[in-house]
Amino acid sequence: MSLADKDIRDAFFDELCRIGSRDPNVVIITNDMDVFSLRKFKQDYPRQFINIGVAEQNMINVAAGLAACGKRVFVFGILSFVTFRCYEQIKVNICSMRLPVTIIGMGAGLSFGFDGPTHHAMQDIGLMRLLPEMEILNPGDSASAAQCARLAYEGKGPMYIRIDKGTFPEFYNSGDNFSSGLKVLRDVANSDVTIVASGFMTRQAVAVADALESQNVRAGVIDIFRLKPVDGSALRDLADRSRSFVVLDENAASGGLGTIISEILARHSKKIPFISLTLPDKQFLEYGAREWFLNRSGLDAPAIVEAVLALVGRKVP
Amino acid sequence: MKNINNPAELERIAGKIRLKALEMTVAKKKGHLGGTFSCVDILVALYYGGGLGIDPSRPQWPDRDRFILSKGHACLGLYPILVDLGFMSQERFDTYGDNGGLGGQLDTGIPGVEWNTGSLGHALGVCAGMALAAKMDRKNYRAYTLLGDAECAEGSIWEAITFAGEKKLNNLVALVDRNRLSVTEVLDDDSFFRSFPDAVRSLGWDCYDVDGHSIPALLETFQKAKTSEKPVLIICQTIKGKGVSFMENTIKWHHSVPTAAELEKARAELVKERP
Repeated sequence: MSLADKDIRDAFFDELCRIGSRDPNVVIITNDMDVFSLRKFKQDYPRQFINIGVAEQNMINVAAGLAACGKRVFVFGILSFVTFRCYEQIKVNICSMRLPVTIIGMGAGLSFGFDGPTHHAMQDIGLMRLLPEMEILNPGDSASAAQCARLAYEGKGPMYIRIDKGTFPEFYNSGDNFSSGLKVLRDVANSDVTIVASGFMTRQAVAVADALESQNVRAGVIDIFRLKPVDGSALRDLADRSRSFVVLDENAASGGLGTIISEILARHSKKIPFISLTLPDKQFLEYGAREWFLNRSGLDAPAIVEAVLALVGRKVP
Repeated sequence: MKNINNPAELERIAGKIRLKALEMTVAKKKGHLGGTFSCVDILVALYYGGGLGIDPSRPQWPDRDRFILSKGHACLGLYPILVDLGFMSQERFDTYGDNGGLGGQLDTGIPGVEWNTGSLGHALGVCAGMALAAKMDRKNYRAYTLLGDAECAEGSIWEAITFAGEKKLNNLVALVDRNRLSVTEVLDDDSFFRSFPDAVRSLGWDCYDVDGHSIPALLETFQKAKTSEKPVLIICQTIKGKGVSFMENTIKWHHSVPTAAELEKARAELVKERP
């Protein structure tokens, strides 16, 4: 089975299980979330797996205590509850202590669209970016998700990884150099526009680039899977070679990839046309499929194509 | 590791620690004397009476007992101990209250300090993680924390109590400085504190109630805790401001700074108490 056929959750957790089966110091803790690919690990390595129950503050504190005594700790749960719910525990006990604890947020963006605003993960990137010591990874395919598990294990400090669900086209392969945290998927040189995306929206970016191609607009595409620290120098170089920048971000208008890229461009002396297409700055007290939310927010492929055409000065057909 | 078993000597040390905390508070016009004085005897029992297995020459010794002073605002009770035992220099202590010097909370930049403090309700869960790590590695070290009584209202404390009870972390000891005064309130034996020991017991802990100013009683209880099959809660009945008559049981002395006259009066009482 190629990685592209593998659910992104399985790609990440299968790799984590491989790591955990080789290192008895790896401890995986959840707040009572079930992950299919961890069931076997739980059976085979019961001493390395803890279901701590629905008690996220304690989950983070226990993880910190374990990490301070030499354990490599990974905690996972539904994204909002392992970030917002226990934010001060993360700030004080993981970050200020600079401990190698990895927080895995399940259900990036609107993967849990039907479960309402408590489950919509739209503000977490901004939230976690505020923590100076925190690294943030947001993979958008199975190969980079598996790589994220390795990066977390090799990392020396706090890390936050957002995990989506479902299968994704293959954008990375295991031989890629992952060190800069981004990959140019479509060449930006000689393009009319450069689309920057992360996680789930990278798939959208590639679909949009294909649609633009048929209208004789050439689009470069950049995937960023490491949102913090982001490779600002590579992005400035790419901006220098681009005519315009479009960010696609399945996050609130404030704090996500749109904010990250605008900060880089604002500090950069060369100014280029730039738009950031994001979710609105609101909590959706609404329930529905991800695609439904994206349509309503102007983040479906046709709406994005239209916005790009307007940016590059082409008439919408 | 200090293991002094002469009660008079331990009391003399406690008086000396209180005096240093008092003098530093006056010198730098900063400090939480009330809650420092209430827990000095507990700290002395831990650090001098053989409570904690630690080695000042090896602050990072992997098999040391872990101790987190959760009520880190009582740091002026701990700094002089760390100096006296050789973890930290007097010069470092003298920077207390200066810009860039030792602060009003503890941090791991200080040798012998396990955790960054300042926010309440965190240390018990962290210590539960440390105790669990010891169990996983089949090591004998123990995790101790000293909590304030008002702090026990934090929800995360109760998450940790439930977890430690379920995991039977009998290498975990939670001490509570029951000094009966929070920042603004008197904390009587209301429904919360009346039911506290029974509630914790019912969640799988052993509980002891002890005079928090009797170092021999504290040490005896630490010994009992070492043979327990469950995590242990020790409620230390204390007096906020203990050792200085006009500070005792007075909310004002949570963080007031004594005047010159008050300093002399307090000093006289603390020195007189030393046998």
